[in-house]
Amino acid sequence: MNRFSLPHLGIGVGLRTRHYQHILEREPAVDWFEIISENYLQTQGRPLYYLDRVAERYPIVMHGVGLSIGSSAPLDGDYLRELKALHDRVRAPWLSDHLCWTGIAAQNTHDLLPLPYTEEALWHVVQRVREVQAFMDAPLLLENPSTYLELEDSIMPEWEFLSAVAREADCGLLLDVNNVYVSAFNHGFDAQTYLAGLPKDRIVQLHVSGHTHCGTHLVDTHIGPVIDPVWQLLGQAQRLSGASVLLEWDAEIPDFEATHAEALRARAYMGARS
Amino acid sequence: MSDRLPQPMAADGPAYAAERASATPAHVWTQAPRAAHPRDAHLPRPAGLHALQTWLVEAICGPEPAATAGVVKDGPRLSGAERLDIYRHAYSARLQECLRDDYPVLAQTLGDARFARLCQEYVARHPSRGPSLNAFGRHMPELCRSTRELQSAAAFYAELASLEWALVEVTHAAGPAPLSLQDLQRVPPDAWGRARLTGSAALRVLRFEHPVNAHYQACRAHGEVLPLPAASPSATAVYRRGVELWRMDLTPAMTRVLRALLGDASLAEALGCIYVDASDPAAVAEAERSVMTWFQSWVANGFFSAVV
Repeated sequence: MNRFSLPHLGIGVGLRTRHYQHILEREPAVDWFEIISENYLQTQGRPLYYLDRVAERYPIVMHGVGLSIGSSAPLDGDYLRELKALHDRVRAPWLSDHLCWTGIAAQNTHDLLPLPYTEEALWHVVQRVREVQAFMDAPLLLENPSTYLELEDSIMPEWEFLSAVAREADCGLLLDVNNVYVSAFNHGFDAQTYLAGLPKDRIVQLHVSGHTHCGTHLVDTHIGPVIDPVWQLLGQAQRLSGASVLLEWDAEIPDFEATHAEALRARAYMGARS
Repeated sequence: MSDRLPQPMAADGPAYAAERASATPAHVWTQAPRAAHPRDAHLPRPAGLHALQTWLVEAICGPEPAATAGVVKDGPRLSGAERLDIYRHAYSARLQECLRDDYPVLAQTLGDARFARLCQEYVARHPSRGPSLNAFGRHMPELCRSTRELQSAAAFYAELASLEWALVEVTHAAGPAPLSLQDLQRVPPDAWGRARLTGSAALRVLRFEHPVNAHYQACRAHGEVLPLPAASPSATAVYRRGVELWRMDLTPAMTRVLRALLGDASLAEALGCIYVDASDPAAVAEAERSVMTWFQSWVANGFFSAVV
């Protein structure tokens, strides 16, 4: 259904270390797994041992938090080379990272920092997405981040910026519906407006997860079950795009069966095709 | 010298299964933001992407909250300063969480408050520069040694940190197929003295002035804060066998032989490190028996990857 003819993988689960043993011993019927790319960089040991064995049995997609596509610092060549080697190793159909920046040359915050949605930032990101896709020789999807502040410099809303980047750089989108929900609460925009503003044929993958309500703001903690309004957004986005679905669960992670059962709740909200 | 068999101890635990790259700290990022206190209301507004990002990194990672007017919008429920403070808190929490993953027993031994202060000092002195956090904690032994607050116990804490960092290193080290006893049996008898062994990349041999491994083991077993041990030299091999992490205590003689072998000494040269009285046949015979026992154990535990 996407314009890139990338495959529909079904419903997947984020691969987490606590589940390694279960997955290798039981080989549960999971459509696919997504890895956090950085967990398998700068290592030649145990993480890769498990990854290789999971990749022999299941499709793997790579999801990063360190590309820093919006940083004004040059792209990190060492990081890209490691990422490409990992991509070749697991034969991922695509890789993804966030529409954000994580730091500048001297300091990495390891956070997904918001960009100013300006013309300058737009063309900066477009150029870098083109470079990354050419270097990786693989499709790159950009994910909308959860954010907790907005910058005065911004001249357009995030969905317009993200859509423009995708169009001009010709890349796909990873739409995280929980992030839409979180940012909508934190910044006071309408999640439906966000969804309506995106090019559906560029949405290749969807993320869904839990979050934490802190009273004054929501935090994208990837904790606990997904709340119904987020499932509703997931169903809506999936029916419009036909995209593959993935559950992220990163804090207080339950056993594999419970995690997978939570992911499979997506079926109730998705279109008949899936 | 002793011919006692080493007793490897499993070192695996949930800490080493921690996911490291997530952008969201697992536990500590959900506190309500504190109101920021602008330090300089006259800060010029950054112009352009690079200037803005430079400003934001300083505002998030710097020691004091920054004035946000004109840069960060106020939100529906939080001011710009409060919104920025969410990121300031997350920065510190994320890196502290990473260090706690790497140094669970150091954290347990120091207690939450002292470990948190040590982490703050660590983050200030050694900010992360690259996209991966796998090697972020490597400076902890050095920091412990030079931290005034740890005072007379600094040497012990530094040694404990070295043991825990060795566990991290062997987790991520390459694990080529270990040398087997069958491989060794292919070495002709007349070539044994000249043979040299290549150590596994997933092996570290550590010498301490304190019984660090015993303290580590007791803390892991009891899960409580234990008194600091008195000085007493010890040595421990930290290694990975397959996917499991192990620790093996070594006697001084074992340590000398093993370090010599890993330092590219020939087998004959390494055996000379036992320091046995060559004029005493009984002592020589005992030494030979001991060395065979050690050697078989080291090979069985994958300490070597090749023989040349």
